[in-house]
Amino acid sequence: MNRLFQVVVVGTTALLAAALLALVAGLITELVRHSAMQPPDLREVLFAVRLSLLTATSSSVLAVALALPVAYLLSRYRFPGKALLDTLLDLPIVLSPIALGALLLIFFRTPPGRAIEALVGPVVFEVKGIVLAQLAVVIGLAIRLLKATFDGIDPEFEHLARTLGYDRVRVMRRVLLPMAAPGLVATLLLVWGRALGEFGATMMLAGATTMKTETLSVAIHLNFEAADITSAMIFIAVLLGVSFGVLLAVRRLHGHRV
Amino acid sequence: MRTVALVLLALGACSAPGPEPLTVFCGAASRPALDRAAAEFEEATGVPVELVYGGSGTVLSQMRLAERGDVYLPSSPDFMERAVATGQVLPETRATLAWLVPGLVVPEGNPAGVRSLADLGRPGLRVGIGNPETVVLGQYTVELLAHNGLLDATMPNVVGFGASCSSVTDMAAMGSVDAVISWRVVERWNQARLDLVELEPGQVPRVSWIPVAVSSHSARPELAQRFVDWLRSPAGQQAYAEAGYATSVEQALQWAPGAVVGGDVVSPEGWLEAMQGRGARP
Repeated sequence: MNRLFQVVVVGTTALLAAALLALVAGLITELVRHSAMQPPDLREVLFAVRLSLLTATSSSVLAVALALPVAYLLSRYRFPGKALLDTLLDLPIVLSPIALGALLLIFFRTPPGRAIEALVGPVVFEVKGIVLAQLAVVIGLAIRLLKATFDGIDPEFEHLARTLGYDRVRVMRRVLLPMAAPGLVATLLLVWGRALGEFGATMMLAGATTMKTETLSVAIHLNFEAADITSAMIFIAVLLGVSFGVLLAVRRLHGHRV
Repeated sequence: MRTVALVLLALGACSAPGPEPLTVFCGAASRPALDRAAAEFEEATGVPVELVYGGSGTVLSQMRLAERGDVYLPSSPDFMERAVATGQVLPETRATLAWLVPGLVVPEGNPAGVRSLADLGRPGLRVGIGNPETVVLGQYTVELLAHNGLLDATMPNVVGFGASCSSVTDMAAMGSVDAVISWRVVERWNQARLDLVELEPGQVPRVSWIPVAVSSHSARPELAQRFVDWLRSPAGQQAYAEAGYATSVEQALQWAPGAVVGGDVVSPEGWLEAMQGRGARP
């Protein structure tokens, strides 16, 4: 029985890893077989990489910063209407990104939306729109993951720290956050990855504009729109390489804890 | 908090100042020609042009929902009619940029040996077409097949619909199907992966065109009109011609002798039943 258990655990993992490697192998064969007749402009590739990294990092950091207090509230307090609020905050997870993008686009036509644009500058069809679209897509996920992290930490630690004279801010900074650190980093990684690959909401709110709102995901779409399969594949390879590299680097920095 | 401030600072830094660009909402069918024409316009006038690409309907929805944009340039006249009907463009500014002729396009090397339109009905062939309910190309395709008496034979071989002329073309470019009916110009987009199978004279019943108009949301309609005029000028037309588009009715009719230009597509009944192998309704 123990042997069977081992076979199932190792076998399933190996199978899944092999399946993912097969996808990458397919991509490489495709790239080798059809060397690009017109490889994408290096400037365009670098622009897309830079924009993708900048927007995904901004939106995931913002998402985690916003999700922290909300997740804390949902994890530590009971109040009337909590189930309703909880479900409301889940909506960004279930809404398809293109629907979220459309809702944002409509919002910026309303007086509050126009007021925001007057205050922070144009958002629609701009780089700020990419960050906002990504933020809207990942915020629900960030709240969910951080709440699970807080739920896994016994509130007794916080009570104890309070009885020993720490105020709430210090409890948060010196007790809860250090204990939640692995969960925080894991959340940031997942949310960052999801933001990097975001396409639907970005295309709707920020538009697919060459060399302006052209993230890696948008570049892949634009090249398929021009039937330029090889260039699309090159952008896919770049997206794969960049995300793999960043995720691996962060994992190593954190000593494989996440 | 400091991180957030830094991030916001970084974001502020990436919106560079400069002359206000023109925003053009364009259907994907124009991309190769338009990229070049817009760059040349920018060079000649100093006015940057931002091209927002997508399906003609998607970009129209974006323009309408956002209530901004300077020029609308869809891939087919039916979307322009919708834009006019809903007040999204200035009707008097409408113009035609190029003509689109349906064509039989196969993966490079023609692995399935498709030699004619009639071959599409060969048992076991995998065919891709535009969605006849959502894309003008799909309507043209169904009409073209019916016009040649090939609807019942071909539809059972249709394995999938594309949502735009580009996604139909991608089916062939990626080798997922043996043949597609798209606009013939798409073969020029990626000659390394696509081949064109010439149709016989009289087989194409109708040709389409690429329209353009100034958006009714434009704050600078004169400048938007200048861009439209540029696309209609010899320089703009050359960009379209060199990308393989027909820039005159005469040329389009050379590729499709006897075809009608535009007008309402005669949608034959029963294409869905034919596709599901149940035979067309009488």
